[in-house]
Amino acid sequence: MAKTNPSFEDLLASETRAELRAVMAVSRIPLSLPEAQKLVSHLEALEPPAHRLRLGIVHSYTSQLMDPWLSLAAAIQGLELQTYHAPYGVTVQEAKENSGLLTFAPDITLLLLQREDLHPDLAKPLARLGTGEQDELRAEVLGRLAGLIGQFRKHKVGQIVLSLLPAIHAPGLGIFDVQSDRSESAWWSRLKVDIGRLLGDSGQASLILDTDEVVQEIGRANFFDRRLWYSARFPFTPVAAREIARRIVALGVLIKLPKAKVIVLDADNTLWGGIIGEDGMAGIALGPDYPGNAFVDFQRRLLDYQQRGFILALCSKNNAGDLDQVLKEHPHQLLHDEHFAARRVNWQSKADNLISLAEELNLGLDSFLFVDDSDHECAAVRQRLPQVEVIQTPSRAIDIPRCLEHVARLEVLSLTAEDLVKTEMYAQERRRRELKDHVEKDGADIDEYLASLKMKMQVSFDNSTHLARLAQLTQKTNQFNLTTRRYNEHQMQKFIAASDWLVADFSLVDIFGHSGVAGLAIVHFTDTQQAELDTFLLSCRVIGREAERAFLHFLLGQLSARDVKAVVADYLPTAKNELVKSFLPEQGFAACPDGRYRWNLGDTPPQPETAFPITVTLDV
Amino acid sequence: MSIFRQLQDVIATTLKVRPEKITETTINEDLAAWDSLGHVNLMMALEQTFDVFLDVEDFPLLISVPAIIQYLQDHDIN
Repeated sequence: MAKTNPSFEDLLASETRAELRAVMAVSRIPLSLPEAQKLVSHLEALEPPAHRLRLGIVHSYTSQLMDPWLSLAAAIQGLELQTYHAPYGVTVQEAKENSGLLTFAPDITLLLLQREDLHPDLAKPLARLGTGEQDELRAEVLGRLAGLIGQFRKHKVGQIVLSLLPAIHAPGLGIFDVQSDRSESAWWSRLKVDIGRLLGDSGQASLILDTDEVVQEIGRANFFDRRLWYSARFPFTPVAAREIARRIVALGVLIKLPKAKVIVLDADNTLWGGIIGEDGMAGIALGPDYPGNAFVDFQRRLLDYQQRGFILALCSKNNAGDLDQVLKEHPHQLLHDEHFAARRVNWQSKADNLISLAEELNLGLDSFLFVDDSDHECAAVRQRLPQVEVIQTPSRAIDIPRCLEHVARLEVLSLTAEDLVKTEMYAQERRRRELKDHVEKDGADIDEYLASLKMKMQVSFDNSTHLARLAQLTQKTNQFNLTTRRYNEHQMQKFIAASDWLVADFSLVDIFGHSGVAGLAIVHFTDTQQAELDTFLLSCRVIGREAERAFLHFLLGQLSARDVKAVVADYLPTAKNELVKSFLPEQGFAACPDGRYRWNLGDTPPQPETAFPITVTLDV
Repeated sequence: MSIFRQLQDVIATTLKVRPEKITETTINEDLAAWDSLGHVNLMMALEQTFDVFLDVEDFPLLISVPAIIQYLQDHDIN
């Protein structure tokens, strides 16, 4: 099990970045500033960073003192951090042509603002205003903020992250504040909700970094250093600076590193205390008392990750029957069969099981997180499958419920309807596979199986209600993806709005359920009679049911009806999209001497809908 | 380790300068990195390393190696 209290020397002894990252995620070891800097040097010497993150900071208080903590957080994540601090106190000027920020071309633009930057009236007591006036002020603040973000959004500033410095003092009306209809704290809470909605709705690739949450985590007295605030306009204690930096860099991780999708869990000493095969149902620690309550709490946290859109899988060296019994019958077990998209309960090596889970789920191993208490299993997986992120369950039960909280890749930048039901979709897929095996056993062929699914495809064009999901599909899809072009919501919104671009998506329904939005094509009309296929991708969970072909030929038919005579497409190979290497020629595209593919719709019409076992409808 | 050696290590690490650049007589103006921001970082680093609480009034006084050593000795820190 992971050492509960590693020393600074233990950290310096770590041999790989992955190992050190896992230890830092699980143990919350305090670090002094010189220690943090020594750790950065150690990490830089271990292995070169894998990605570069350009962080532009626009601020109305001193931000440069964050740098050592940002460097630490970035080094732990394997990011080479380049930072630009705008001139002090200058904000909207940075959103103008030729500003330092725009020249820097950031991946993330961080706005570190104080509350009164939003409106001069916020420097005065809020309680002087009646409820009506308070509402007006909030609307005004929101309008100004939308204007400010809009100024930045006109330019290439990457992901905008807004953070407001929390109040250094208790609310205006003191202990009574929360009860008053003039409450300052309630006003700010409402504003935060409104800002969140504003940034989320507009598809602007903008986020709010909730520093109030950091205050909750460490306490106001530990958050502000009043000496530095009043003497140097720097608000944070080292503890606060480190935690805020960690969160900022986590956002960078989500932009730069491969997406995590699956959490593979060991069972004994991870989901419960003890060993089911030895201790039995009555002997394992899982229930209302210590230490069983910590394991119940951990399972409860795992359900949160499932809500974020991560799928859970089980990988345990056990007798399948013993494990089944806990999942089905233990009164305090929260995770049941339906919560796991797949499982491997056997005596084979965990690495082999992870490989076979990746095949079953049709997901890359670099999207896997492996959680296990055993030194040996963790080391073996790290060694054989370095692309899997390994987290070792802490040895003290009280540390287990929060052991995944600092894993940056388990954060999300958006939440879609598909995320909330993802495991259910994988469970559907498992049932489809079972039906397929069954049909094949009966000697029937694949066509009969596909027909028995009674698939219906719903295609929609330029559907901005799907915006978050469409951007997410370009970000996450690696295998069935012809060009692997990544777009954020803001860029996607531009395609949807532009008359010379067409964004087509589909969802698929069959007897087992609804896929959610699972395929996307982006078409660029380069002139009146020619179009280019900028993007064509399918989520892995709908591959292999003819959906890819039905979608392509339906789309080509639609383009033909719009008088498009030729469609040009590309296959841009990556390490992961070998699957679609021959997709274009197989469907009827001709390979051209310049390496691109072309279909002359005037000469050869696409295949009719009846060629596929899927009924297609266009949603208008 | 003597106070000076510890201090030398803290200053070198915090301000990212070579240890040999720091002597028992170094003052802030000798090191380009010991500017106003570097100074704030150094104050934080001293507090955490020597487990001492510095008053904001002391910040502008602690601008040389001898001043810092004197301060630490006056406060029985070694």
